[in-house]
Amino acid sequence: MSNLAPLNEAIKKGNRNEAKRLVTEAIAAKLPPREILDAMVAAMDEIGARFQRNEVFVPEMLIASRAMKEALAILEPTLVKAGITPEFTAVIGTVQGDLHDIGKNLVAMMWKGANFAVVDLGTNVSPEAFVKAAQEHKAKIVGLSGLLTTTMPAMKQAVEALRKAGLPGLKVMIGGAPITAEFAKEIGADGFSPDAASAVDLARKLAVA
Amino acid sequence: MTKLTSQERVSRAFAHKPHDRVPRSESFWPDTITRWKKEGLMGGSREVLELLETDFHNINWLWPRPFPGDEQLVSEDAETHVVRDESGRLLRRWKHKSGTPEHLGFECDSREIWEKKYKPAFMETGLQINPAATMRAYREGRGKGRWCMLNAVESFEQTRAIIGDEVTMIAMAEDPDWVRDISQTVTDIALQNLDAAMATGITPDGLFVYGDMAFKTATFCSPQMYKDLIWPDHKRFADWAHAHRMKFIYHTDGNVNNAIDLYLEAGFDCLQPLECKAGMDIRKLCPKYGDKMAFFGNIDVMAMKDNNLAVIEHEIASKFAAGMKTNAYIYHSDHSVPPQVSWETYKAVIELVKKYGQY
Repeated sequence: MSNLAPLNEAIKKGNRNEAKRLVTEAIAAKLPPREILDAMVAAMDEIGARFQRNEVFVPEMLIASRAMKEALAILEPTLVKAGITPEFTAVIGTVQGDLHDIGKNLVAMMWKGANFAVVDLGTNVSPEAFVKAAQEHKAKIVGLSGLLTTTMPAMKQAVEALRKAGLPGLKVMIGGAPITAEFAKEIGADGFSPDAASAVDLARKLAVA
Repeated sequence: MTKLTSQERVSRAFAHKPHDRVPRSESFWPDTITRWKKEGLMGGSREVLELLETDFHNINWLWPRPFPGDEQLVSEDAETHVVRDESGRLLRRWKHKSGTPEHLGFECDSREIWEKKYKPAFMETGLQINPAATMRAYREGRGKGRWCMLNAVESFEQTRAIIGDEVTMIAMAEDPDWVRDISQTVTDIALQNLDAAMATGITPDGLFVYGDMAFKTATFCSPQMYKDLIWPDHKRFADWAHAHRMKFIYHTDGNVNNAIDLYLEAGFDCLQPLECKAGMDIRKLCPKYGDKMAFFGNIDVMAMKDNNLAVIEHEIASKFAAGMKTNAYIYHSDHSVPPQVSWETYKAVIELVKKYGQY
């Protein structure tokens, strides 16, 4: 790990050019791709933890995510060759009747940074579209986002549709301004996340549960 | 205490001096008013505010745009339409209901485009406030004895509207001078417009500046970054208000607990609407800051949405008890009343506000 510390640091600092240079060097030096990936994911994990402690904020989280994304794109062919795939697939979208996208986009970005394969369905997503995407991509996680109190019932409908589809092992997590852990329990979701960084921890936890 | 006029009441609240009852104001989603009309409301939001006996009177609406009047329809479907708006952003909006738009794209996504196109466009737009209409609204408010306030959008909300959330936040980290330039430019324009309103001879009581700088768990950026990049322009608004003998009210959604000391340093007189679901709670804020700042709002719309009067009464009674101890509390929901709230319920809310708001 010690020779990958500068790469880890570059991602944490959001220094994308340095991260791309260092990942290229690591590949050229034939370091094990799993170790390279782990060093990068560890950087994002630390950023997420610091975000939850209010030590870093959205700007720092965004530049770290961007550095991760660009460095990961360079590493990806090497990972594929080595048979290393993303941890799992997560589908995300803002529920039907709601066009709000900021929170959903942040979660998608953090999930990609954590090496999940992310399918972003956008906004105003119907329950049927969530089911279809979860089936098609064999998702382990579906994330439902909503800003408005008026669209909370749509979240319930999406959870019901996903349950009815009976997809084995699928976990549903929810988030958004009016959403609480109590509401998640009430509508039968598997979890609630108050922010984008916690959404990474929760998705990982749910995926192995 | 004898009954005060609205202007006297709110002025005394801002001075943290005893007054007769808690001052009142409210906001509603348009769909809420549509529902209430079906349930017997005669009129619209104006009539609801009359029933509430609001103490506030907005005399203008100011959101300077780089391309005023130039909104173009790009596409539409049965439910939504996509427009290129007056700030140059591509938005998807609902056709038949209220709600926040989806942000599909921002033409101004680089410093070069800002400097070559958007900044000059802002500088060339001239006045975007209507001084005559502002004067008329002011006279109407004064005629009703209300506390009259000018309104303006602040520079962080403006920046996000021009270059988008993602570019804004990345620029805050990587190109802070650019963010300072946008913030200063749009604040200059806003203050020029407010000066033009004042040139009509009006003497409003306050300046209400709105712009969200936080989300559910924290401010978007660190307090230090806020202090470096946006706060100087917030302070300019507060200084401008005070120079005109007005009070300064700042509206932001989200959890801003970590920024209140900076608000006080800038001279903010009042914070609104204190969003409960983001962790704002006047029962905790009043003991700490109640002698330095007025609090406006914090009645949880989530407590209203189930139309359970016992829950609503507890919310109002407990928050009013905390706020009224400071002599500087103003009633408002913690956001906008949502359409789950029935007209019967909201009429009961008004009665509870009257019952518990009497000093």
